[in-house]
Amino acid sequence: MIWRVILGLFLLFMLGPIALVVVFSFGANALIGFPMGGFTLDWYGKLVADTGFHSAFWTSLSAAFSTAILATLTGMLAAIGLMKVTPGATRAVLAALALPVLLPPLVVAIAIVVLFVRGLGLGLGLPVVVLGHILVAQPFVILIVMARLARFDQATVDAARDLGATRLAAFRLVTLPQIASALVGAALVSAAISLDDFIIASFTIGGGNTISTFVWGKMRTTLDPSINAIATILLVLTVGLSALALKVSKYKGQV
Amino acid sequence: MTRHFNLFMVPALAVLAFVFAIPILLLFAVSFWSVKNFRLQPDFSFAAWQRFLTVYGDLTLYTLLVGLLVGLLCTALGFVFAYAARFKAGRFGDLLLVATLITLFGGYLVKIYAWKSILGADGLLNQALMWLGLTDEPLAFLIYSRGAVVVALVHFLLPFAILPIYASLRNVSEATIEAARDLGASGAQVITRIVIPQTLPGLFSAFAFCFLLAAGDYVTPMLLGGTSGSMLGQFVLLEFSTNFNWPAGSALSFGLLFACLVLIAALAALGGRMMRRPAGAVS
Repeated sequence: MIWRVILGLFLLFMLGPIALVVVFSFGANALIGFPMGGFTLDWYGKLVADTGFHSAFWTSLSAAFSTAILATLTGMLAAIGLMKVTPGATRAVLAALALPVLLPPLVVAIAIVVLFVRGLGLGLGLPVVVLGHILVAQPFVILIVMARLARFDQATVDAARDLGATRLAAFRLVTLPQIASALVGAALVSAAISLDDFIIASFTIGGGNTISTFVWGKMRTTLDPSINAIATILLVLTVGLSALALKVSKYKGQV
Repeated sequence: MTRHFNLFMVPALAVLAFVFAIPILLLFAVSFWSVKNFRLQPDFSFAAWQRFLTVYGDLTLYTLLVGLLVGLLCTALGFVFAYAARFKAGRFGDLLLVATLITLFGGYLVKIYAWKSILGADGLLNQALMWLGLTDEPLAFLIYSRGAVVVALVHFLLPFAILPIYASLRNVSEATIEAARDLGASGAQVITRIVIPQTLPGLFSAFAFCFLLAAGDYVTPMLLGGTSGSMLGQFVLLEFSTNFNWPAGSALSFGLLFACLVLIAALAALGGRMMRRPAGAVS
């Protein structure tokens, strides 16, 4: 009984603030507070009419889509490679690839800006954002794909090779179908990571906006109730993607 | 057939080198450069590091303290939640884990904004306190304070602490706990002598991760900290943008990073010692 109360308090603390934002995105009052006024979709209507939000929305979606494809590719290849080397080498490479996730994103973001602007004389923009997101997403892809490959029966690939399949054919016809669900899950998690990121995007986007830098602009200037609506859209996208990823890949959070 | 390297790793490692390793090394080099007439010049000067030590010494210490506090709170709370999910929640355990994974992706800015709405002068908490008659006018100290920053950071980082702790709790067998109980151990003894020693690696990685991310954060103190709750990350940003002093910004970044790593290494050494010492008392 006491544990139920404790867990209830935890869930209230963890989910309460997030739920609040969602609930008030449908409230007629401009500020979060009770009574919340009637039910309204006005704040969403305002966003639909806002061209600034449109471009931020599409920028975020294309960043998320590109990150999902590319991080899943680099991560999948690395996971396959890591299964073939000594355990010591696996640990070392995994630690190196996870390092960008462990350092403050502010430092990583600034370092990227310094290289691209000062070091290479290139500009900033969406491709740089995507590169930053691949960097952060690929260790998660590797973990998910490696967890699947560890339960994978290598004999099926050997059988295909014995029967005359080329390496590529064996991969395409035997390995790929078996790890497909893990790959989809990894791609969805990568997209969620890209959508959720604010710090790397805010430094590397140059001009323009992603959804999170768009929210940031509003948070800094006025108390704009449409923030609740944008936050809810973002939440539905990231939580939806990650929940779907969990379901598809049956990943249970092994780290 | 086992080797140390193969070609499949090349794309991921190329991204790591090009977007992380080279930029970080360049950033480190920049901390020794100098700025003349708003132009960045390659140099070998310790001016930026001197600025870090003289101007930002106290702030670095405060930032480390906030990180330490948030790291400890997240680890303690994360342990309680993970312990309950593992041993007390029965069939709801998996559901609690899914709730945790979902709050992980609850949106970084969204969470900070939510706390702003809760703690603000006309926020939810003040409204509730006034409605209950506990106060006549809004309490201004709820937001723009050190406490607000700590609460929001704990909220943001708690899922990151729960997951590794839960993963290590999965390896603690219920049979060992039953055995300890049968031999007369109290509930508290079971936790301190059976459960915690076996989950120490998970507890430590939870702490290290939360500590690093809390100490390196700048958005939370910017929006919720006011003037008293400022942290070093904000000044990294300030040096890079407003002051156009890239060397100083770089020295600040690495100064904070080195300080964090020294602290974690010290704690790891301390933890290792503590684990070795009273082991006899357990078995």
